[in-house]
Amino acid sequence: MASSTSPPEPSTPARPSSASPATPTPASTYRLTEDQAALRDAVRVLADEQIGPRAAEIDRTAEFPWDVKELLASHDVLSLPFPEAYGGLGGDLLTVCLAVEQISRVCATSGLILAVQELASLPLMLAGTDEQKQRWFPDLAAGRTLIAFALTEAEAGSDVASARTRARRDGTGDGADWILDGSKRFISQGSVADLIAVFAVTADDPPDAPPAPGAPDAAPAPAAPTTPRHKRLTCFIVEKDMPGFSVERVEHKMGIRGSPTAELGFRNVRVPDANRVGAVGEGFSIAMRTLDRSRPGIAAQAVGIAQGALEVAAAYAIERKQFGRPIAEFQMIQAMLADMDAQTEAARQLLYKAATEIEAGAPDAARWSAMCKLVAGDTAMRVTTDAVQVLGGYGYIDEFPVERMMRDAKITQLYEGTQQIQRLVIARALTARR
Amino acid sequence: MRIVVLVKPVPDTASGGERLRPDDWRLDRPAIPAVVNANDEYALEAALKLTEAHGGEVVLVSMAGAGAPDTMRKALAMGAASGTLVTDDALAGSDTVSTARVLAGALEGMEYDLVLAGADTSDGGAGVVPAGVATLLGLPYLSYAAKIEPDPDAGTVRVNRISPTGYEVLEAPMPALIVATQALGEPRYPSLKGIMAARSKTLETKALADVPLGDAEVGGAVATSKVLGSEAPPPRAATRVIREPADEAARQVVAFLAERRII
Amino acid sequence: MAKAGPIWVHGELAPDGSLAKISTEVATLARSLAEAGGRDVAGVVVAADPAAAAEELARYMPRVLAVTEPATADHAAGAIVGQRLAALIETEKPSYLLAGSGPEGRDVAGVLSALTGWGVLVNAVGVAWDDGPVVSMSIFGGKLTTTSRLTADHGIVTVRPNAVTAEPAAKPGTVEPTAVDVELTLPRVRIVDRVEAAGVAAPIEEARIIVAGGRGVGGPDGFKVVEELAEALGGAVGATRAAVDSGWIPYAQQIGQTGKIVKPALYLALGISGAIQHKVGMQTAGTIVAVNRDPDAPIAEFADLVVIGDLFEVAPALLAALRARAG
Repeated sequence: MASSTSPPEPSTPARPSSASPATPTPASTYRLTEDQAALRDAVRVLADEQIGPRAAEIDRTAEFPWDVKELLASHDVLSLPFPEAYGGLGGDLLTVCLAVEQISRVCATSGLILAVQELASLPLMLAGTDEQKQRWFPDLAAGRTLIAFALTEAEAGSDVASARTRARRDGTGDGADWILDGSKRFISQGSVADLIAVFAVTADDPPDAPPAPGAPDAAPAPAAPTTPRHKRLTCFIVEKDMPGFSVERVEHKMGIRGSPTAELGFRNVRVPDANRVGAVGEGFSIAMRTLDRSRPGIAAQAVGIAQGALEVAAAYAIERKQFGRPIAEFQMIQAMLADMDAQTEAARQLLYKAATEIEAGAPDAARWSAMCKLVAGDTAMRVTTDAVQVLGGYGYIDEFPVERMMRDAKITQLYEGTQQIQRLVIARALTARR
Repeated sequence: MRIVVLVKPVPDTASGGERLRPDDWRLDRPAIPAVVNANDEYALEAALKLTEAHGGEVVLVSMAGAGAPDTMRKALAMGAASGTLVTDDALAGSDTVSTARVLAGALEGMEYDLVLAGADTSDGGAGVVPAGVATLLGLPYLSYAAKIEPDPDAGTVRVNRISPTGYEVLEAPMPALIVATQALGEPRYPSLKGIMAARSKTLETKALADVPLGDAEVGGAVATSKVLGSEAPPPRAATRVIREPADEAARQVVAFLAERRII
Repeated sequence: MAKAGPIWVHGELAPDGSLAKISTEVATLARSLAEAGGRDVAGVVVAADPAAAAEELARYMPRVLAVTEPATADHAAGAIVGQRLAALIETEKPSYLLAGSGPEGRDVAGVLSALTGWGVLVNAVGVAWDDGPVVSMSIFGGKLTTTSRLTADHGIVTVRPNAVTAEPAAKPGTVEPTAVDVELTLPRVRIVDRVEAAGVAAPIEEARIIVAGGRGVGGPDGFKVVEELAEALGGAVGATRAAVDSGWIPYAQQIGQTGKIVKPALYLALGISGAIQHKVGMQTAGTIVAVNRDPDAPIAEFADLVVIGDLFEVAPALLAALRARAG
């Protein structure tokens, strides 16, 4: 197969620099530690009492909930993913997922605040220098600043390596500034972030044109070897005040309406080399390794959404009486609720296991990551749809939260890699030649 | 300042699972998750605010069963510096007399400027233990505080005590024992950092033998009262629903009240 | 010998120096217990000027000991009264002491219990007699009622408001000025000031009728109709935590898990959903009537009568109907 049409390369397993489990986790099992259970319960209380009551309004006004961000910051929730050395709590991947899940149970938009803070910081965690971490992590951990992850472009969604945003060196010499040009689309929280982790093309040569289908030998051989597709990108941290950076638009979406999804423009943005994350050409690898660690966060969001919907549906079924009895006594309702519960639990267990494996540096992290996101996303969609069904007409109106949860669930099948991409990753891992 | 807060783990009423043990009608504590008694949280919050303003630390003292350390950790997560838990099988089924004696014994020899206690507990609601502790220790007793203002330099404390028609301003030298009310302010949620830090804070456990009690007898064996039985209150009759327009509804309500001889 | 000693009632003072309403109820209860058990009964009032309260209590008791204690004029009463009572108990040897379960009664009961070692049965909603008091207590937010007794032949019982209806005795008793010679060793707490809060009447736990407002009332102006209804019914104004937290009404009137527990003959709930934290404060009321727009509100499950409607229409209509009835 020509390398230009191959799906994303399986990620190289890398132990994230911030992770330091005290003892190696036995590969086949996990148990929540007391700390994890305590943190999960504390976030749950916070979510139920302070965030849940805001969820409907956040969805209705489609405004970024700064108050919820402040709440999460002041209760140290946003500091969970960051190393203790920089003011974080040094939480491992499972702990972060536990928090995202609890928040998403009541408000998917709010759960995303933590998930994106983790996702977008991962390039720095994986490949940043100590100086860079020192520069940015303390404020991120404290929730004083927000960071977004800008990989996707209008013409480069699943096909990441076809990105067009360019970064050219201004002058010669290793320390020279970079000039960024281009635009990114569908960037979560792009309009409220203080820092943007941007992936730009730094290879000088044009990319291989993918061969037209049915024209195998017609393309002329290139004159010189081109940079391979997975070495063309470099990661940079752009600060929102840098001249030339702009928020072009914010999308109106089906769900997670309080989370602004932005199109970002970069016109001659001068970025110091000190803001480059990792080596030149390492960007694609950083992105893939990032997604391996961040997909569980989305899976956690999906599991949370499913759980929230399940709880609403079950409570409704107990209270709602038709034909003289609570509908929870009717078998068709029972069957739906049972399937919803079992599937949510299955997705949850796969997520917790995946997070544990990835944290422990499992060589097949990509497979775990893709699996948990695939199962959780599909589960969330199915469970929320069934939740609306259980509530009947009431499920369709905004008096109950399940219609919002169903709209929110859909995105978990789309972002951080569509379900189709997840399947490619899994199949590749399964069928790779040894 | 050094402030002791008396805390008691009680069944979580939100769980709805409280029940009595059928053999001796005592509260079946292990059956339900325990939380810090709601009123004690207000006392703890007040204490934390005072030490934040005046410097110092807050320590916890509790008499409770074996499962209590987890609940105490939640209180430590709010910001208390350390805790002492008196736990002993002999104390199961203790009444208010025993509880006051044990807590007073636990406080004996401790240094503090103030002892704060919640107004009563949701699992038996006595509200008489703090007064008993103050009496046994010879501490000034200031109850039902809506506001606490210590003057560390003068060594005195002023308290606004809620009265039926407003409040009284009380003053006493420290050390003193104060009963806290909800009017002192909402308890904080423990921050996640607080939760993590709680694990490494000292929670000392003492058996009855370690508590100076003099000749006093304590514990379930010498309880001054016993429960004879329990029953659910008679169920209320089915609710009658009125959906008429306001004037007609009002007429029916007045008739209903007259019928029940309320008016 | 204490075995067949009398039953005593601690008479509390209201802020204006008269006898607190709770004490008239406790006195009535004590009288009926004494009759059932063949015991004597007496009241005790300890105050800077006990005369008025003692005379009022004597309408319910054959005998009232009036102890003049100047210190309580400007010192917190609990510890002082407790010490005087402990000394009196030593000489007069009653078997039981009954007190109110409010803050005053609890303070005295707590101090007295520690000084004497006497056990305390608290928050009685009913007391019967079976060779000693047998106390009914409502626990777990009203889900269960327990029956308890003291293990010794002496002890203290604190009694909830509205457990019984006050009823004066057939003929009034006598007041005996009594001196109690004891050194007061417990530290005194000085009362530096007394502040009356505007519009706060008697303790809400003592009210026979309570009209309460919740989140549905919408604001301090909304509470006007709650107050008017309370007045028309001769009752007190109560509130849920939501209303208190929003600053619409003082905390003294909050009913619920972190407020007061009440057992009025009538609880009229306006714009109150009936969530568990509020429910535990009022669910043992004699009659519960609710006005709410939401037919699925939890209060509709346990109220006796629910009017589904806008409280700002129903309440004024109810007010008009009550006033018309009064003539």
